[in-house]
Amino acid sequence: MGFTSFAFFLFVPAVLFGFAVLPGRWRVAWLLSASVAFYASYGVESFLHLVFVVLLAHGIARRIEGAGSEATGRRFLRLGVVLLIGALGFSKFGDFALAEVARLTGTPPVQTGLTPPPGFSFYIFMATAYVVDVWRGQVGATTLAQTALHLGWFPKILAGPIERAGTILPQIGKAMRASPAQTALGLQLILWGLVKKVVIADNLAPLVDRTFEIPAYAPPMELLISLYFFAFQLYCDFSGYSDMAIGLSLLFGIVLRENFRRPYLALTATEFWSRRWHISLASWFRDYLFYPLCGNQPVAVRQHLALLTVFAASGLWHAGQGYGVGWAFLVWGILNGIYLSVEKMLRPAGRRLARRFPKVIGSPVVSVLRVLLTFHLVLITWAFFRADTIGNAVLVLRRIAEALPELASLVFRYPYTTEQALGAGLIVALLTIEALAERRAFIERMGAWSTAARWAVWYCGFAALLLLGRWGDATFIYQGF
Amino acid sequence: MSRAGTPIEPDTPAPDFRPGRIAAFVAVAVLLWVGLFAGSEGLMRHLADENPVYRIRAAPTDGSDWIVLGASHAMPLDFQGFGDEIARRTGQSVLNLAVPGTGPLYHRFLAERFFASHRAENVLVVVDSFAFYDRQWNEDRFSDRDLLARTPLDAPTLRLYARYLRHGVDPRGFLDYATGFSKINNHDRFEPDRWEAEENFDRTIRPSAHADQERIAYLYPEPPDVAALARYLDHLVALIRDARAAGAEVVVIKPPIPERFAALLPGEDDFDAALTARLGAEDVRFHDFTEALPDPGFYFDADHLNRQGAETFLEEHLGPLLIGTDAGGNRDAGETSTGRER
Repeated sequence: MGFTSFAFFLFVPAVLFGFAVLPGRWRVAWLLSASVAFYASYGVESFLHLVFVVLLAHGIARRIEGAGSEATGRRFLRLGVVLLIGALGFSKFGDFALAEVARLTGTPPVQTGLTPPPGFSFYIFMATAYVVDVWRGQVGATTLAQTALHLGWFPKILAGPIERAGTILPQIGKAMRASPAQTALGLQLILWGLVKKVVIADNLAPLVDRTFEIPAYAPPMELLISLYFFAFQLYCDFSGYSDMAIGLSLLFGIVLRENFRRPYLALTATEFWSRRWHISLASWFRDYLFYPLCGNQPVAVRQHLALLTVFAASGLWHAGQGYGVGWAFLVWGILNGIYLSVEKMLRPAGRRLARRFPKVIGSPVVSVLRVLLTFHLVLITWAFFRADTIGNAVLVLRRIAEALPELASLVFRYPYTTEQALGAGLIVALLTIEALAERRAFIERMGAWSTAARWAVWYCGFAALLLLGRWGDATFIYQGF
Repeated sequence: MSRAGTPIEPDTPAPDFRPGRIAAFVAVAVLLWVGLFAGSEGLMRHLADENPVYRIRAAPTDGSDWIVLGASHAMPLDFQGFGDEIARRTGQSVLNLAVPGTGPLYHRFLAERFFASHRAENVLVVVDSFAFYDRQWNEDRFSDRDLLARTPLDAPTLRLYARYLRHGVDPRGFLDYATGFSKINNHDRFEPDRWEAEENFDRTIRPSAHADQERIAYLYPEPPDVAALARYLDHLVALIRDARAAGAEVVVIKPPIPERFAALLPGEDDFDAALTARLGAEDVRFHDFTEALPDPGFYFDADHLNRQGAETFLEEHLGPLLIGTDAGGNRDAGETSTGRER
């Protein structure tokens, strides 16, 4: 039951109706039942994975809180983290590792056939954060129903945001209700998320897929177009899901954290990764991996190593059985880690430059150039994200680089297809809206408009969904990770 | 109003959710939908003249000599004006209602739709075994978005669609047809409704074992299912009875296919036995033309007649059948009669 499926459009009003008519004390149970029904639609195996993680996280959190000594609590924490991350690692790499062992030892391969269910990584990350936060004393252990709803909350179970227990648990209880303002904002976010997913991402996807299937034979111009398109396909696919998750949660009075903040307008790679792209994952890695790796008194070398480790871990997370073993993801992660590390090294020089030439460095032209540079640096890494293998990613980049002198002259006389023109138009529209929202949130702007103008925006959204949307049961890219 | 993911500020003005305003908002949205539906329907009617429902609506109500029901193998009989050629040579008016990838349930639906408003002297049903084994060629075709996007809306078809829900048709298909969703959302809305294979009608295929295997794998994704065969034979029989009730005579044929392709068909003997038994019980004429044109030179792809094949088929088999001068035939001659002759 995907977010864009017909069943989901019946499911959500049904859940909302029950939520509205049931007394407060039944609401948690109702939402938990709805979440179970939603996730069980992905198969009993998926549901059992969730049950395992919920019981494990809940049990470990209880043990930590009830531990008589710090040492005992720490032992339970370690056990919990090892089991949770171990389960994720095994489900992603178990069969690959077993096959490698069999190959190296010359024994017959043994395969478990285990693959991570949709969204497995996301609730594992949330469960791990919950256990650590209980250990740190940032949250108290909760009831089983609260833990289950926190981890299994249907709007975010497939691809986040990776919400913290400390922010979501206090919202789960008898008093749950959505204010009119939350309802309006929630509906707007759902509409915007749908537009991003079915109008933009899913219209770009077929063009990208076609070219990346034949990287050796596709014309370099097609490769370049597809690489640009993939950057926006991935963004709209993932952030569209996040917008819908946040919007759906608001309909029930649950506020989730912002997960994307117009990432392609970032001035630096550091800003892109820390404050604009998949923010909930970035902060998860920061709080549960980067800071522990850096220690209390971080030295520069240790920070750089920690950065590279974090990004390598992020790359490894993207790899695995869910999306192919895909070592290219590791390259993708390390490349981004290198960007951030280099930026960190250049930061003092940048500050000196900004002090010396404040007008130039702060000028709009330089800002635009920095945005373009950052975007293209990230774009290079997307080749490794999208290509099947490292070799194919290098091939795509090499063929584009070799053809660059000709591509510049081809731009204005290339026989673009209607689909490409539509894709480009959608990207321009998206960037225009995001550039406007950078100064003031689009939703805030709308608040100041007349009713007719606001309604017109809604109807334009509906019309875009109806006329241009690619409907079906398309999955979200990140639910496979 | 605050941005996504941040709490709503306490001083955020509450939106106006008065019932009247909600009703007005919804009413405008419905009007927008209706406008888009009307526009899409109008555009589709300019471009979708190949759709069988469109053809039924455009056909003279006072009667055709023949209507043809079938899947893609019946379509070359109307490629590039070949239907007019058939009419010219036989003197019979023929309305071809074949749709690629459809089976007996969809053919029954089209027959019912036709006889709801039209008359015909005869019905020619072109059967393929693949269409009797899988719901993807039958129930699922009623929800096929490409087909829905090209099917004009009218009251008789809508009523019929609703009635077919009892045959296992997905209600979403009915809802789609009624609301025009697939028409509004049609990404090929400016493309004419032509099966691209029609462009190959004058070509001749170079035989390819790989292409044959691929085609077989596409048509028979699962091993033949005996229960499905019985169910879809029931629909074929129901079609025959409906047509007879409307005063039409029914002839069932198996279309010609290349010899090497025929050899690959799974469970064809069992299909033939079941089909002939059911048609025999209904006293229906049946001609098996499977082996009538074994040479691959008569086909533009793995299994569809090209112009030369269609002309030869018309000359030697179909023409006599349509004008009633065929002998009824026997299996040795590539024809089998399981029932009475016309």
